[in-house]
Amino acid sequence: MEQQFDIRMLMKTEIALTRNKGGVLQGMVCGKRHEELIVYRCFPFQYESSYLSIRDAKDVELGIVRDIGELDPESAAELEKELQLRYFLPKVTRVDRVKNKSGLWLWELQTHLGPTRLAMRNLHEHIQYPGGGRIILTDLNGKRCEITDWQALDSHSRKQLEEIV
Amino acid sequence: MTIMDHLPDRFREQLTSAPLFCCRTDLLLDGSFGEQWMAVTEEAITVWEQEDRPKAKFSVLTLSDARVSGGIGGGSLIIETYEGPVVLARYTAALASMFGFAAKLIGALAKQEELPVISERDLPRYCPTCGHPLGEGTQVCQFCMNKGKAAARVLRYAKPYKRQMATAAFLLILTTLIELVPPYITKLIIDDVLQPKAAGSALLIFVVALGVTTVLMAVMQTVRGYIGIWVGSKLMGDIRGDIYGSLMRLSLAYFDRRQTSQFIGRVNSDAESMRQFLTDGVIYVTGELLRIVAISVIIFSLDWQLSLLALLPVPFMIVASVTIWPKVGRRLYQQWRSIFRLNTMVGESMQGIRVVKAFGRENEEMSRYDGANAEVVRNNIKTEGLWQFIFPAFHLIAGIGTLLIWYYGGGKVLGNEIQLGVLMALVAYLGMLFGPLQWVSQMVNWASNAIAAAHRIFEIMDTPSEVPDADRPAPLGKIQGSVVFEGVTYGYEKHHPVLKGVSLRVQAGEMIGLVGHSGAGKSTFINLLCRFYDTDEGSILIDGVPIRQISQSDLRRQIGVVLQETFLFDGSIADNIAYSKPDATPEEIMRAAKIANAHDFIVRLPDGYDTKVGERGHKLSGGEKQRVAIARAIIHDPRILILDEATASVDTETERQIQEAISRLVKGRTTFAIAHRLSTLRNADRLVVLDRGKIVEVGTHEQLLEKTDGVYRKLVDAQQEMSQIRGVSV
Repeated sequence: MEQQFDIRMLMKTEIALTRNKGGVLQGMVCGKRHEELIVYRCFPFQYESSYLSIRDAKDVELGIVRDIGELDPESAAELEKELQLRYFLPKVTRVDRVKNKSGLWLWELQTHLGPTRLAMRNLHEHIQYPGGGRIILTDLNGKRCEITDWQALDSHSRKQLEEIV
Repeated sequence: MTIMDHLPDRFREQLTSAPLFCCRTDLLLDGSFGEQWMAVTEEAITVWEQEDRPKAKFSVLTLSDARVSGGIGGGSLIIETYEGPVVLARYTAALASMFGFAAKLIGALAKQEELPVISERDLPRYCPTCGHPLGEGTQVCQFCMNKGKAAARVLRYAKPYKRQMATAAFLLILTTLIELVPPYITKLIIDDVLQPKAAGSALLIFVVALGVTTVLMAVMQTVRGYIGIWVGSKLMGDIRGDIYGSLMRLSLAYFDRRQTSQFIGRVNSDAESMRQFLTDGVIYVTGELLRIVAISVIIFSLDWQLSLLALLPVPFMIVASVTIWPKVGRRLYQQWRSIFRLNTMVGESMQGIRVVKAFGRENEEMSRYDGANAEVVRNNIKTEGLWQFIFPAFHLIAGIGTLLIWYYGGGKVLGNEIQLGVLMALVAYLGMLFGPLQWVSQMVNWASNAIAAAHRIFEIMDTPSEVPDADRPAPLGKIQGSVVFEGVTYGYEKHHPVLKGVSLRVQAGEMIGLVGHSGAGKSTFINLLCRFYDTDEGSILIDGVPIRQISQSDLRRQIGVVLQETFLFDGSIADNIAYSKPDATPEEIMRAAKIANAHDFIVRLPDGYDTKVGERGHKLSGGEKQRVAIARAIIHDPRILILDEATASVDTETERQIQEAISRLVKGRTTFAIAHRLSTLRNADRLVVLDRGKIVEVGTHEQLLEKTDGVYRKLVDAQQEMSQIRGVSV
């Protein structure tokens, strides 16, 4: 078996990330140049900017970045941006309205990426509570939004959420 | 209706030829919400944002391929240019299938292949009236369709019992009216007998009348109560039956994503809430409404000025009820959800009780439970606390009306404007009037509970099956058994495909062995053939008919399955063998068992074929269960047979017996077999090697072994190595 059975942690010197003209993440990893790199969060809920799996275009893991802060500033910025794009999880900044219309829960939200609407068939299968005041909303189509801490939202939003969460 | 988004004219004008495909994204390139348009023509791909000027334009000649890169909650369309990959568009998960098609189209253009044809399945469809996403294979928006509110649908259940319900209602009207008589007789006694001190037969007559009304009321209440129970129980049965029916109709995918123990509670408790509303609620509400009207008429005829005074608080109560209603509904749902979470947790730890015990995690499970439990307590106090506030408040408001009557009415009696009896009657009627008004809050409670339950029930009923039957299914007689996979792609989580573009032609009667690492997609292959799930792309044909067009009962009649995990139902062995053919004769059952090498061990059991198996019955060993399952497949007599790890987890001798049974079974049938022990697949006509969702090798055992660096060769080598370590031969 030629596979390695150890997690390869990437040192700062082993990884340098850039973005090509077309907006695709690329870079040098362990001395090898990759035209395209894919990034996964190993613990998307628990650690947003730590334990990031760096993979090549064929989805083979090259290594793990322990924390984004360990990288040089340019790589860190590109990685941060790539995570933002790959993990499309807008952060809710305000809950405008939650209403129940003919068996459908409609959410009107303001997020850090702009306003959006979610539609849920019910609340018990579309809301996750990873812990703390954190809430992950998933709509019928699989679109997701995140409320980082619902207690920290403005009073209007909290009022909307009070009887929901 | 065009199935493509309509490209705005200002962009359309810039194109030199007709677009093959155009679409709108819901994200901008920087990942924020916004719109971007894309048009694909024979020559080029053009992308616009808000401005009229294209943001980007790529000649097809500069492209080598295109693909989608699926992220989480969204994805991006990437084209391969000669200068490296370029992100063309980003989108949220809702549009993933559309961009999947776009990528295929651009890829085909770039490689000058035949262009794929867009199907409606590739496009997200929205209901034209409400804008919500439409389910697959349906044109009717389930949200619009359900506009006939939950309450109306609940009432529909009462329809078959309308005669009984009408009788109950009629009796109710009568009782209500009769209930109004005693205060009036009291008034007569006071005003006509007691006050004038006019003794005589009048008193006796009034008392007898009072007695008769009381008896009548008692009788009618009994009859009505009985009808209520009768109709209620029937209704419960109907609702429960419907829920269970809906559950059975749902596709496997629905259950994959849910904790199944929750449904036990849902079937029973939600049905009960609905019943309560239908019988008690509906009858009670109509009765009380009627009573309110009747009382209003009587008291107004007694003294309208006083009545107006007394009814002063009524509008406040109505306003209060209306404002509280939605709040109550939400709190009840919240409470229900916390109980639901608690139940799910119990269900989960009970199912995994072995693991809990084995790792000694009882205390952690308890503290997990405590957390959820505390949540239920909190919500309970919150919701029930609301009642404790509402009830006295209503009481207080109602009390004011009575106070007003006593004060002004008393003054009138003293001023000889009205008689004492009238005042007494008014007070009595008001008591009867405010009784139901106070109970409005209780009715709010009932109704909200029932509506919430109804929503949950209808949600199950309205969930479209993910594998819908075709409208006009193609008739399928006795099939030959040829199977064709054409570019089949499927993922349990959409856009995380487990099978990617799998194509395979299988002759009728051929035995195919499916080989590959775990997670390579073998079981998925079989699940798709059984149509437990529908393909995301591509199609599967049996005898040249796409399986989407075959009715599922027809399809399953042709397919027999022996799974790794044998599930025997509660019942005798004979019942289990005859599961798919309940009218099988004892001879047929025995014959099937004989072929399955099961006859001998069954006969040796003390209860023979009547041995109880299943949850609480006789415990059969893994190999014995397996053979019963094979017998079940034999009696089914399918043209297509599926064996999923049928010989895993049994010893060599048992395996030999099962192998024997299987080799008899597969004769003349198209067979798909999955096995970890490659030796079991030796008699397969062809082996299909799957790796990461793709077919990498196809051939006979010998052919595949010849490929020195083939996947199959490696698998065989690895197994040989393993068995040498264990000291057994393959």
